[in-house]
Amino acid sequence: MNKVIIINLNGNAYQLEENGYEALRAYLDSAARRLEGNPDRDEVIADIEQAIADKFRALMGASKTVVATREVEGVIAEMGPVEDASDTPAAGPKGAAEAPRAAPDAGAAPGPARRLYRIDDGAMLAGVCNGIGAYMNIDVTIVRIVFVALTLAYGAGALFYIIMAILIPSAVTSAERAAASGAPSTAQEFIRRARAGYYEGMKTFGDRRAYREWRRNFKNEMRGWKQDMKREILQNKRQWACNWHRHWGGRPYPFFGWWFAVPFLRLLSALVAVVCLFSLVSLLATGAVFGILLPAGIPVWAGLIILIVAFQMIALPLKFMRHAMYYGSGYDPVCAGWLHFWNAVAGLGFIAVVVWFASRHSAQVHEAIRNLPHEIHSAVDSVRRWWARQ
Amino acid sequence: MSSINEKFTPIRKGLLEFLVLKIVSADKVYVADILRELSGTEFATQEGTLYPLLSKMRREELVDYEWKESEAGPPRKYYQLTAKGREQLREISEYWQQISATVKSLGQKPAQ
Repeated sequence: MNKVIIINLNGNAYQLEENGYEALRAYLDSAARRLEGNPDRDEVIADIEQAIADKFRALMGASKTVVATREVEGVIAEMGPVEDASDTPAAGPKGAAEAPRAAPDAGAAPGPARRLYRIDDGAMLAGVCNGIGAYMNIDVTIVRIVFVALTLAYGAGALFYIIMAILIPSAVTSAERAAASGAPSTAQEFIRRARAGYYEGMKTFGDRRAYREWRRNFKNEMRGWKQDMKREILQNKRQWACNWHRHWGGRPYPFFGWWFAVPFLRLLSALVAVVCLFSLVSLLATGAVFGILLPAGIPVWAGLIILIVAFQMIALPLKFMRHAMYYGSGYDPVCAGWLHFWNAVAGLGFIAVVVWFASRHSAQVHEAIRNLPHEIHSAVDSVRRWWARQ
Repeated sequence: MSSINEKFTPIRKGLLEFLVLKIVSADKVYVADILRELSGTEFATQEGTLYPLLSKMRREELVDYEWKESEAGPPRKYYQLTAKGREQLREISEYWQQISATVKSLGQKPAQ
């Protein structure tokens, strides 16, 4: 069930789904902002509203009275971003002083706003790297190398890839394909505008009144762009949540793969934990980790904290991935509960086995366990002394 | 191919006005006609670009429009060239001939 909003487009009434209404309003707002200062602004906006109304009318039928969000987005993509045609010639007669402002403006590529899509053309797997490369405007090879490196490190890259492949929509229509490598997103545009605006501001240097005027305009403009950006983030979020639900939502039980994926992730985290434990032990017993001595002047307890923090940084992404899986289990408390239980069993079992094995076969572990209370005491003492000094 | 496409973006953008003049000169047209004529070409564009461009051209008195009833839906704006627009089109066409002649002649070995 979706809320419907009735709008008046240049004298034509249409019923839009709420999200579609938001998208349309954002489009028209940004059009109005682009045309600021244009003497024909109202007329152009009316023309555009009329064109949108015509497209909506074509979609409607006897039994169809509401314009769906998807359809609104389609129409907006078809309309394309509104560009003020009088931008370019206006820079000419004003002379060379205007050049720094005109240059970045002219550099803005026309086309739809850029969005993150998977691109199948020239893809190796699902086109995730391709899409990210196009979105961030970097070579796809670099993106691929990063993914491979992440995969080699802890398998995180592969999992991230799978999640992205599910979440990011594939660019199917030509409009979407254009958007995948289209004009910079609002965020980038925002930064560009901010930079261009400061250029302008520098010219008012020395003239107090002009400066004040510029500052007021600049602030206003930036506020508008911030709104735009917020809206875009919200829109993306909504789309991703929608994709997520389409794939995972509505499933009463997680499909079979969860039962492998969860313990696998758990075992990976456990492995990280074991390496962490091992380095803690070796630090306590010998004062060195993997043969690397602590730098002079750093107490052992500080080394312990650094180690734990470092391993947390590795363990956290794995943990988040597991949590994403619970989240994806369709919010079914019974099912998520089982996943939690399964996860805990796998993890605790693994650690118990390793600790048992180590204490039986390693004198170092005995040594470390005997040293542990002493280290805790010295840590507490250090903190107390530090506190007393304050 | 796509990089050539990108390199020519500003040129295509600049030529759009010339092409719109050409299309409008042939017949009274409304925006959907212009879009359709351009759609198959390298100059394919969208309403978001075309409406501001047409309003600018009208401000410069190159084109003018009149409202006309359509079979279905509300009246539409039909655009046509003004005398000034026709003059402009002639000048630009001439200039375009010069440019393409220059492009063709440059870089060729002088005839012995």
